[in-house]
Amino acid sequence: MAKGGRESTDRTMPQFFETALQQSVGMGQDLAAMPYVGYRGADVAAFSPMQQAVFQNQQDAMNAFGMQGGQGQYMPDPVNTGGALGYSSAPVYDAAMANLEATSPAIPDYISSFGIDPITGEVGSRAPDSQPVALEMQSAGRRGGK
Amino acid sequence: MAGSANPNMVQSVPDPTSMPRATPYQRASMANMGAMQTYANPAAAAANMMNPYQQQVVDATIRDVGNAAQVGLNQIGAQAQGAGAYGGSRQGIAEAEALKGFNQQALDQVSRLNQQGYQQSINNAYNAAAGLQNTGNQAFAMGNQLQQNQMQQGAMQQQMMQNLINAGKQQFAGYLGQPQQNLNTMLSTVSAQPQLSGQERSFKPGLFNYLQFAAGLA
Repeated sequence: MAKGGRESTDRTMPQFFETALQQSVGMGQDLAAMPYVGYRGADVAAFSPMQQAVFQNQQDAMNAFGMQGGQGQYMPDPVNTGGALGYSSAPVYDAAMANLEATSPAIPDYISSFGIDPITGEVGSRAPDSQPVALEMQSAGRRGGK
Repeated sequence: MAGSANPNMVQSVPDPTSMPRATPYQRASMANMGAMQTYANPAAAAANMMNPYQQQVVDATIRDVGNAAQVGLNQIGAQAQGAGAYGGSRQGIAEAEALKGFNQQALDQVSRLNQQGYQQSINNAYNAAAGLQNTGNQAFAMGNQLQQNQMQQGAMQQQMMQNLINAGKQQFAGYLGQPQQNLNTMLSTVSAQPQLSGQERSFKPGLFNYLQFAAGLA
């Protein structure tokens, strides 16, 4: 190598490849603002009519021998999710969230700030788009969904 | 059959049309309680199970013994007459002894028959109780088997419903995860491209290079 000069080597990539990388990063940023989406349908299949008949029969059997049958509804009312009858964990989740909001309201606010508002679509204050960073890319992906 | 009705035959017989309404467990419980009543008070159960023809058998036995006694007395009278001592004191003593024997024989026979009858009724009561227990056990076992079958089929139905719910939840989760799947596709596409990055080399000459260049021109 000749003395006195300076030789440098820079990595380069094709323009379309760089664009694809930028688009991927933009998609990742958008995805990072996705809030939690809970499932609100049936989770656990409800007892079938035959099973309920078995329960009733067993209670009757216990009563026939003078024993306590354990009558009464134990499980919550099943929900109908497109014809599928089952017990949903959504009420349990709602209760847990309500309890959290009542006892530690800052926590759900903090967690929610990482994603968009599920009602208005407003980007949360801690979402990537709200971060105070001067991004080099021109776009972090198309906004506004559809 | 002639004679009075058999009390064992006129006891209440369950109405066949009402039987299906009683569950196997109700039948088992009733049978069990019936058996327990017998074991708790065997005498009462035995009294209910006494042979209704017992008295007829006793009467017939007493009659037989009486007939035998009459034959015996006739023989004693004939013997006394043959001996020319009919109506004598020896005939009287012999007849009294014979009657005493026949009476004792009759009492023994009646006692034996009554003892046999009571023992038989006790045995019958216990047998009936055992039969009730067996019937109750059968009913209980049938009920359990039916319950087991019903529970299995019910569980199958519930499992099918659970499968349906799981399939729906899987579709929903797939929908929610589709953007991430899209990004993964994008990233895998980018990372899969071979040799897309290259090197660009450049050289910035220094003072020595310029001097060397000037010396070359001289």
